[in-house]
Amino acid sequence: MTDEQTALCLRGLAKRFDGKVAVAGVDLDVPAGSFYGLLGPNGAGKTTTLSMAVGLLRPDAGQARVLGQDVWADPVRAKQLLGVMPDGVRLFDRLSGAELLAYHGLLRGMDPAVVDQRAAELLDVLALTEAGRTLVVDYSAGMKKKIGLACALLHGPRLLVLDEPFEAVDPVSAALIRDILTRYVGSGGTVVFSSHVMEVVERLCSHVAILAEGAIKRVGAIDEVRGKRSLEEVFVEVVGGRTATGEELAWLSN
Amino acid sequence: MAVELTAPTGPVRRVSARHFVRLKLRVMGNNFRGQGWRVALFLGGALLGLWFAGSGFFLFASPGLADTDRYATMVAAFGGGLVVLGWVLLPLIFFGVDETLDPARFALLPLPRRTLVTGLLTAALVSVPAIAVLLALLGLVFTAGVLGGWSAALVALVGVLLGVLLCVAAARAVTSAFASMLRSRRVRDLAAVLLAVAAALLGPLQLIGVSALQDTEWERLDGVSEVIGWTPLGAPWTAGIDLAEGRGWAAPVKLLISALTVLALLAWWSRSLESAMVGTASGGGTRAKGGPAGGAVSQLFPRAVGWARRDQFGALVAREARYWWRDARRRANLITIGVVGIFVPVLVNLGGSGFGTNSGQGFGQGAAEPSPVLVSLSMLFVGVVAAVTLANQFGFDGSAYAANVVAGVRGQQELRARMTAFSIYVVPMLGVVSIVIAVVLGRPGWIGLTAGSLVASYGAGLAVNCFVSILGAYALPETSNPFAMNSGGGVVKSFLTLLAMLVTAVAAVPMVVAAALLGDVWHWLALPVGVAYGLGAALLGAYLAGDVLDRRQPELLATVTPRR
Repeated sequence: MTDEQTALCLRGLAKRFDGKVAVAGVDLDVPAGSFYGLLGPNGAGKTTTLSMAVGLLRPDAGQARVLGQDVWADPVRAKQLLGVMPDGVRLFDRLSGAELLAYHGLLRGMDPAVVDQRAAELLDVLALTEAGRTLVVDYSAGMKKKIGLACALLHGPRLLVLDEPFEAVDPVSAALIRDILTRYVGSGGTVVFSSHVMEVVERLCSHVAILAEGAIKRVGAIDEVRGKRSLEEVFVEVVGGRTATGEELAWLSN
Repeated sequence: MAVELTAPTGPVRRVSARHFVRLKLRVMGNNFRGQGWRVALFLGGALLGLWFAGSGFFLFASPGLADTDRYATMVAAFGGGLVVLGWVLLPLIFFGVDETLDPARFALLPLPRRTLVTGLLTAALVSVPAIAVLLALLGLVFTAGVLGGWSAALVALVGVLLGVLLCVAAARAVTSAFASMLRSRRVRDLAAVLLAVAAALLGPLQLIGVSALQDTEWERLDGVSEVIGWTPLGAPWTAGIDLAEGRGWAAPVKLLISALTVLALLAWWSRSLESAMVGTASGGGTRAKGGPAGGAVSQLFPRAVGWARRDQFGALVAREARYWWRDARRRANLITIGVVGIFVPVLVNLGGSGFGTNSGQGFGQGAAEPSPVLVSLSMLFVGVVAAVTLANQFGFDGSAYAANVVAGVRGQQELRARMTAFSIYVVPMLGVVSIVIAVVLGRPGWIGLTAGSLVASYGAGLAVNCFVSILGAYALPETSNPFAMNSGGGVVKSFLTLLAMLVTAVAAVPMVVAAALLGDVWHWLALPVGVAYGLGAALLGAYLAGDVLDRRQPELLATVTPRR
């Protein structure tokens, strides 16, 4: 596989926090045009891995390449190809939705007329137009996710990296986000997103990687990974969860 | 399967204040773990507290040391009253409350409010400031003991203990009440601004008070201090002195006043605590309607930034300019600059003449010859204060700064844009300051001197603070309580600010030297030279610091992201 066909290539990414290993050498190849799900329980290192992949967190070791461009050696070129929606990160939320989009567009060096046109369309499609001049800080959680997605999409990136795009989103907004992402992949884009919601991953993804304790446990096309079982069964087995026997917590049923 | 719930079995152990204290110590200890500099800062703070405690002790013990009851009541009433006021006002304005134990975290626990209040109060007592104040005010016990023997000392001790309780309870009650009053973001922003005005006025008022004191006769203060002694501000502190001075009947009454005040404050606190615990879950809701005017881009650019090109630099400037107005923390800083900028130079150059000479020259007759050096110095101070506002400019953004990192904004561009946006507000203010000062001094011809010194020190300050803001950034809390400040943050903040101010002052000293040496020629040269110096320094600073920023972007983002 050449660089051109690999949208995101991670090699040996590792990170420790205060001596505690958060990510212990992650290798990952995301083929261009794939819809890639990064699965893992809480604290598995999903956010850390994605942050290192997009240039938000400096890795202790390893490499990240976006369509052949090294994120850490040549950040400017790599970042042009990237759209990112981090999780647990504030937006510049004292701007209104339209202002925020204009800011992101100009920050990416886009033409103002194009920014105006795309911002209006995105706000319209994501049903944020009626929020008007409401500041993003006063948006609901779902609206914040949607405007964050709009910011990541605005400059038409080749690779979209989304951290927990479906967390705290109501079903209507989730369906909308799913549709937009599916269309984006259909037109040749690549999406990598993290989640721990099996249904969404099973429904959307062409490929999955299961991350636990800072390392990739299973990786591949979704049918390879799950085989004949459900993704949830594979996930629980890989992550090492326990299945209830009915013996423990006996007082609950007293 | 239906789960039948039964009442919890087994004995329920009572939660006492001891648990809260242990929890607080444990939280503090965990904060220190593996962070040597935090321990060092804490020790520094503790030493500073000890120093204050020591000097306070001798101040309050001085009537006893001198063995005279002439000023005993006055020292106790005024000194103690100031301590109480300080405890109530300072957390609101400068430091924020130590949120080591945030009441909101206890919201889900089945604790009676009474337990919660006593627990939180006890935990609040275990802090450097509370202990320092207690030590300082023990000086009163000494005084009472010397003047009135054991019984007076005992009463004074009870009074002081009640007084410290009163201080802590008052501080908690007031901040808690404010926090719950300030539910909606808009009200909160407004209140922060009003408090900033009050805070900024505090200094000037104090100076005016001092110069007024110089003219007043001491005898008149005796009456005032006696009145204060009967209010909750002074009652706990003066009880022991009263007994020593033979007004035995007053002591129990004053102790009763203090105790009742503490109880009332605790009741108030306990009422507002409930709403503080629920937090701002239902905040917001102020939905500004009205259709957007024009396209997204034209909405982003405020009118003051209309001149900017619609590109990356323009967007950065426009966003910063909007933030200086919309973010209450930043707006409060702007207001402080305005107030300090006018008052400090006026006081230094007019009222200040009274500091050097004796009190013969009062406030109104400050017609002393203004000196170019003093004027330049005071201007330099204003410039330094204005620029130091940027010392934690990335901290204002918090994790939102990630947007700029992801977009790969170059460091130089970032810093120049931030300076420009800030200057849109500050440079006009500095212009007004320099004109006002020159006019107030009666030397309109000195506008060049005032403006030149101001711009030079402001520009140098921008350069210095570029580095400070990159290398010494720290996270500001993202909490619902506008007065919250991570413990330890206050100390870091003041160290960094002080350092930045010192370096800036040194960098701008040539302007003062020139004012001293060059004489009249300088009145004309100061403006062009000052502008060139300031602009050059700022651009050089952005150029050099930009490289540092390019290398440290992810690290900077990590330091300004609040830990959760």
